[in-house]
Amino acid sequence: MDTRHIRNFAIIAHIDHGKSTLSDRLLELTGSVSAREMQAQVLDAMDLERERGITIKAHAVRMLYKAKDGELYQLNLIDTPGHVDFSYEVSRSLASCEGALLVVDATQGVEAQTLANAYLAISNGLDMIPVINKIDLPSADVVRTQEMIENAVGIDATDAIPVSAKTGENVEAILEAIVHRLPPPTGDPDAPLQALIFDSWFDAYRGVIVLTRVMQGTLRRGARIRLMSNGRVFDVESMGVLTPKPVEVSELAAGEVGFFVATIKNVGDTKIGDTITEDGRPAPAALPGFEDIKSMVFAGLYTVDSHEHTLLREALEKLRLNDSSFSMEPESSAALGFGFRCGFLGLLHMEIIQERLEREFDLDLITTAPGVRYKIRLTDGSEIEVDNPSRWPNPSEIEEVEEPVIRATILTNEEYVGGILKLVEEKRGRQQNFEYVTPTRVMLTYELPLNEIVLDFYDRLKSVSRGYASLDYSLSGTWSSPMVKLDILVSGEPVDALSIIVHRDFAYERGKALVSKMRELIPRQQFEVAIQAAIGSKIVARETVAALRKNVLAKCYGGDISRKRKLLEKQKEGKKRMKRIGKVDIPQEAFLAVLKVGEDAGK
Amino acid sequence: MSKTLGLYISVPFCRAKCTYCNFASGVFPASEHGRYVTRVCEAIRGARARAEREGWCLPGRVGSIYLGGGTPSTLEAERLREIFGAIEESFAVERDAEITVECAPGQIAADFLKAMVEVHATRVSLGVQSMVDAEAAATGRMHTRAVVEEDVRWLREAGLAVNVDLIAGLPGQTMTSWMESVEAVCGLGVEHASLYMLEVDEDSRLGRELIGGGARYGAGLVATDDAVAAMYEAGCARLEQAGLRQYEISNFARPGAESRHNLRYWRREPYLGVGLDAHSMLRNREGRPVRFGNTDELSEYLAGTAEGSAEVVDRAAELEEAWFLGLRLADGVSLTAMRAEFGDAVARFDGVVTKLVDDGLLRREGDRVALTMRGRMLSNEVFAEFIGIPVFGVIAKDESSDLPLLTR
Repeated sequence: MDTRHIRNFAIIAHIDHGKSTLSDRLLELTGSVSAREMQAQVLDAMDLERERGITIKAHAVRMLYKAKDGELYQLNLIDTPGHVDFSYEVSRSLASCEGALLVVDATQGVEAQTLANAYLAISNGLDMIPVINKIDLPSADVVRTQEMIENAVGIDATDAIPVSAKTGENVEAILEAIVHRLPPPTGDPDAPLQALIFDSWFDAYRGVIVLTRVMQGTLRRGARIRLMSNGRVFDVESMGVLTPKPVEVSELAAGEVGFFVATIKNVGDTKIGDTITEDGRPAPAALPGFEDIKSMVFAGLYTVDSHEHTLLREALEKLRLNDSSFSMEPESSAALGFGFRCGFLGLLHMEIIQERLEREFDLDLITTAPGVRYKIRLTDGSEIEVDNPSRWPNPSEIEEVEEPVIRATILTNEEYVGGILKLVEEKRGRQQNFEYVTPTRVMLTYELPLNEIVLDFYDRLKSVSRGYASLDYSLSGTWSSPMVKLDILVSGEPVDALSIIVHRDFAYERGKALVSKMRELIPRQQFEVAIQAAIGSKIVARETVAALRKNVLAKCYGGDISRKRKLLEKQKEGKKRMKRIGKVDIPQEAFLAVLKVGEDAGK
Repeated sequence: MSKTLGLYISVPFCRAKCTYCNFASGVFPASEHGRYVTRVCEAIRGARARAEREGWCLPGRVGSIYLGGGTPSTLEAERLREIFGAIEESFAVERDAEITVECAPGQIAADFLKAMVEVHATRVSLGVQSMVDAEAAATGRMHTRAVVEEDVRWLREAGLAVNVDLIAGLPGQTMTSWMESVEAVCGLGVEHASLYMLEVDEDSRLGRELIGGGARYGAGLVATDDAVAAMYEAGCARLEQAGLRQYEISNFARPGAESRHNLRYWRREPYLGVGLDAHSMLRNREGRPVRFGNTDELSEYLAGTAEGSAEVVDRAAELEEAWFLGLRLADGVSLTAMRAEFGDAVARFDGVVTKLVDDGLLRREGDRVALTMRGRMLSNEVFAEFIGIPVFGVIAKDESSDLPLLTR
């Protein structure tokens, strides 16, 4: 198709502002999916996505739309992940588009996530069409929402389209706006090939499937392609577009979006943001913006039953076929046995992987407290990176520790600002900006150590703002901070899996809170159990779980031995689900006590 | 293996339901008594036919009979005679059989006592629970200390041995008031005493209230676990001092006055339970223990529709039972006897025993392994260690090594 009849667009929206519903309406209106086929929210394919209402993987759907001018247009909807953890993926999806719909809930207004992605779209040179959704709700305020878009995002919202994705009201106007207000892609189908990878995954039947936007040249079936970041060469076996059903095509020309399957075995080879070119006629340069994804959050993953360690390895390897953005390396813990140190894009990403392991692979997991990667300069002048407390050097060998810092944008209503300021100060935040975007809406910009975010920041923020605050962040640099390793000792034995890295000024308080939480979580045992927090050899807090005094069945039950046996079996089963360290049985929850401490503080 | 049978007859009727009670018992009109006893007698008379049908060995001679409840003393004297009539018809009761009837203090009618003597009852077990009047009243007991003392006197005059039950951990109870009860029991001069601890579960009103964190039935006045443990230990020590030896976790007796019927449970000797929620252990023709129980729904029991299904205890489970039942006894288990019964498999438990001895929960004296005092208080922890150890599976593999190599 002539590129003048192609429009590539994304939808930018906050969670729950109606992106999925709107996508469904667009598919329906263009006849891509009949109402009968429409299983609510076609695009969110994974169960987890549907449950959480968050898009985790990108999608690209081609719709054919006969506009009011009588012409047939090819509209490619490139769906973007909807969470700060995936901002790099979002930026690459946006780079595949010429325009974007900025969907804002008429009852809620602009949220931090929307703002961040809108800025990302603007900086990628996208044209924006503001869409004000949920006008069917009685509390919808179109004019105020317009104002807010103008003040917060800084784009003209006079032409914002008021719609109700739920009822379908005015949705057709969006299709017309896409055709008339967004530019067609540019690009020369005869130039050397430059195609952008914006997502890829492993399909058990077809191998690695790559979603791509052709920027220059033409990608053809049978072509020998080269991935410019790693120089690897593959043959394109088949290609197609999603309508949303997959339909085979023989080529994708400049401006078009689609998928292809090549002789690629490893999803890790197809890095998001990489440029595909033709091996025989390579493009002079790769497309801009490619980055190697770096893990931000790290945690140890273990199975409750240490014999299931190999199952965990297999499950992680399978998941990595689909998601190469998390890293894994074997680690072993004296307390938990063999496990894996995994790196994630963020906390949500970590939760998703954890949930998929438990749900799809039926594993019982223990996850150690999430942490970040520190850069440590040692007294001998050398420099190391540490993301695992068990590798933390001896304090006397540490010259300086640098911790990763983020720049966070928080949007909230005026009345919650006080509580949020207190929270970010407590989390060692430094204010960058404080701005009223409307008379009642405040935008805060703070620099915060990532280490403080990964512990319990989301939950605390949600709690102090009663859910009326949204957060977005990006890595902004590092601070030199006096970080120390806090160890937890159970009956005198350090439990490596419970060690955390904390700021020296918080170590005492955190240690106290942690041991007191542990005391609640560790059941009474045959012997007295001492729980201590220590920095190096210095004990900073101690609690004791008193010895169990009685656990005895006195009655005869008229000879009902089965009842006694059941009771003993239940007791045995309960013990099996705990980790035995030395002579102490520690329940799973205790390993997450670090997170639970925060929960209480938030209450 | 004992050649005689123990008979347990459940009588689930009470004048009032106590707040701590978690048994299948309740308050029912006297008209139900007749129907119930008829049903029990049918079961006694039908026992032999059922055993033959199912392939169970049912000894013909009865060595002990225990009427528990509930409160058997709420029955009319005539009903008691009916039950014993049915027993005499169907079994040969040994001349020296131990025959126990549970009674509520202050509720033993003169003609009931007469009937007990007629049926050759040898023991009465009194559900005293507390000798402190306010405590007893608060849980729904309808007697006072004076009534208990009076009852014990005339039961003993009638030639019956007496057991007294006490519960530690009743609402409002303190160490002082508990020891007052224990002291009073010592003063009664009874042959036997049972000390229990309040059980908190969903099956009693008080238990449910405690679990739910409520305050009804005095739940707010129940002492802590640790305090109850301390009371229990002090109570045990005092009874021992008074010449009542702790022969089982919760049972105390003068030498020779141990409850032969209850010993059957721990020694895995056959017993047949008749009546509501009564449980049985017999052996089948292969010598395997068979356990079965009756429904705990009165209407179901009276209708005779639900006959509980029997469960054959496999060898591994029987060995576990031998440990966790045998260890309840003060004398513990004899390793020689265990080996004679179960063979080399007993050695699989050496590690567990050694570890528990090291932890101070078990003691080993020559051939015998028994609980220590601390082990008694933590006996569930000890017993759980004996559950789920692969025992015969390993041996079965060894046996398979006799097969020619080619077939493997």
